[in-house]
Amino acid sequence: MSENLLSRRAFLQFSGVAARNSLIVLSLPTILTACKEAALAQTENARFTALGSAEAAEFAAIAARIIPTDETPGATEAGVIYFIDNVLGSSRAEMLEPMRAGLAELQAAGSSMYGTKTFGTLSNAQQDELLASIEETQFFNTMRYLTIAGMFALPEYGGNRNLLGWKMIGFEDRHMWMPPFGFYDADYAAKGE
Amino acid sequence: MAWTSFPTREEVDFVVVGSGAAGGIMAKELSTAGFSVVVLEQGPHLHPGDFKHDEWSYTHNEELTWGRRKGHPQTFRKYEHEEAKMVDSGVLNYAHNVGGSSAHYSGNFWRLRPIDFQEASIRGPIAGTNFADWPITYEELEPYYTKVDWEIGVSGLAGPWDPPRSRDYPCPPMPVKASGVLMERAGKALGYEPYPAPVAILSRPHNGRPACIHCGFCNGFGCEVAAKSSSAVTMIPLAEASGNCELRTGCTVSRINTNDAGRVTEVVYWEEDGTEQAQMAKAVVLCANGAETPRLLFLSESSRFPDGLGNSSGMVGKNLMFNGSSNAAGLFPEPVNAHKSIPTTRVIHDFYTIDPSLGFYGGGGIDCRSLTRGLPMAAAMRGGTFSGSSWGSDFKKDLMMEFTHTASFNGHCTTLPLSTNNVTLDPTVKDKWGRPALRTTFMNHPDDLATMKFFMERSMELMDAAGAIKKVGSYAENGQTGGVHLLGTCRMGNDPATSVVDRYNRSHDVPNLFMVDGGSLVTSGRGQPTMTIMALAFRAADHIIQAARRNEI
Repeated sequence: MSENLLSRRAFLQFSGVAARNSLIVLSLPTILTACKEAALAQTENARFTALGSAEAAEFAAIAARIIPTDETPGATEAGVIYFIDNVLGSSRAEMLEPMRAGLAELQAAGSSMYGTKTFGTLSNAQQDELLASIEETQFFNTMRYLTIAGMFALPEYGGNRNLLGWKMIGFEDRHMWMPPFGFYDADYAAKGE
Repeated sequence: MAWTSFPTREEVDFVVVGSGAAGGIMAKELSTAGFSVVVLEQGPHLHPGDFKHDEWSYTHNEELTWGRRKGHPQTFRKYEHEEAKMVDSGVLNYAHNVGGSSAHYSGNFWRLRPIDFQEASIRGPIAGTNFADWPITYEELEPYYTKVDWEIGVSGLAGPWDPPRSRDYPCPPMPVKASGVLMERAGKALGYEPYPAPVAILSRPHNGRPACIHCGFCNGFGCEVAAKSSSAVTMIPLAEASGNCELRTGCTVSRINTNDAGRVTEVVYWEEDGTEQAQMAKAVVLCANGAETPRLLFLSESSRFPDGLGNSSGMVGKNLMFNGSSNAAGLFPEPVNAHKSIPTTRVIHDFYTIDPSLGFYGGGGIDCRSLTRGLPMAAAMRGGTFSGSSWGSDFKKDLMMEFTHTASFNGHCTTLPLSTNNVTLDPTVKDKWGRPALRTTFMNHPDDLATMKFFMERSMELMDAAGAIKKVGSYAENGQTGGVHLLGTCRMGNDPATSVVDRYNRSHDVPNLFMVDGGSLVTSGRGQPTMTIMALAFRAADHIIQAARRNEI
């Protein structure tokens, strides 16, 4: 089932001008219903739709190490897990079972390394060490993909709550801007270049 | 307005397949000249109010650019001896909607220059390639470039950097962005001549459309205020208002039928619910782009046209060109905010023709952009551009600085036409309609790679001159694996043995069949081909109208 997850190389391609070569797919296309996950938007305190609460807590704990909470909010505060739950139940349904299998492997590794199966109960240092050991796996890359998507997608998909993802990097979604847009064009105008 | 409607079993004057850059112009020109026109478009008719700032949907769920998730898989291989593999998103990327890719493009409107049309003669042939002169000159196309400027709507500044023009731009250049200032200052310091980027985005109201409000969602998105000059907001409304044009959306063409005389008679298509229809027509104009037009020709094979309709030359699908690309990203001490406003505001064309003594063919231009189209998710997916961090606290801190403080100087350059780079029908993979998937075979000529490297190096020098604190450059050193400029696959030429359409875009083999889109280009130009596709469409329409009036189609 790992063909439904992302390889490291494939993952990076999503940052290009156009996403391509990204999923390694060996099956014929599944035509999913139109991507109207927005209709399934999560609200505060919503229940999970695709995930059970225990596994949701584990995925949320992983997301919290990918975009941690430090001096500023991270994946947890942005509600990334609700995005993940949303898309694993809709446009990325093909990823659900492989992600469960990946989580089980991670938990088994945690169990043998630290004697604790539950990822969420490990210390931050242990969690980071464990994740670093699986950094090249499709499971981790897909987890990273979903975490980032949930951090920066429109809030109507369930994550990016209170626009925390956008605020973090200095992006503001507006329909209108006026020049100057940055420092250098303001300087250019001031100097009459 | 009463909707125009034509019966399928009576001949209309023209069926136009595709409503994009060329198809929109063809529909408007033919219908306003009094001919009956049916336009068949696979996608929906989206209006400005339908477009959203929705990166997840547009970039990852194929909202406009249909691919595997929407039932339109594609396959790719570098060489013909390999088996092509299915890839997730499109290799050949284009938008499926009225306006085609002119709805989601960046609107960079570089004209070709006189040398582009005669470069093979001037520079000499390049062994192992199909590098050739065009059958037309810049002078012949210039009036149509000017027509594009004024009818479609282009903003720019005429100057010594421009190829010769018969009329000024209708709109002044767009306001310079911080990334443009960085490139302009760096370019001048290095002795180049940076100039305001010509763009099909309105800097002031024109033809009843408003000026850009700088929202930042151009590339890959549709314009919410119709300030971006797509054919959907410039040409299609005029075609519909003529009363002679019926736009049928959600219609996917399966084949073009011909009669015993070798003439096109009807276009067969599926409506959205799968109902098969066939529209009879006196003539057919294929404007389905450099990927879909060759696929349709292949699918329309018959005993009379065993290698595909209009393919006696064997050149249909061949000579696929994308335009090379490269970039250098730089981190700056102060905010750049490249995510605001249009993608690019300055261009450097001082390397339009690279010195042949360097030992390879090539040329291009450099513009200034965001590295990741100004998109938050894309920036984060890429990971720390200058550190390589990809998760954790360091990754987060990198993103917080990089998103607002990065500019990218991008090279756009030549691709050589090769028979071995092509679009064909995949032997096994099918789309949702059961049609063979598009199969791309593509590996850049060594000169393409050298040209991309050359432009990355120039961009890196510019980054130093601009005062970047950190910089990183890249190009497709192992060859490009896809593109948005789909060029060369139905090339224009005087010789029916080596080209698909004549100098007026008429099929050499089928007198009432025309192919007008990126496939017509003989050489790649230096990037940004849509301006030329549109000029060719206006020119072809002029000649088609004259020929039709003389009963010579």
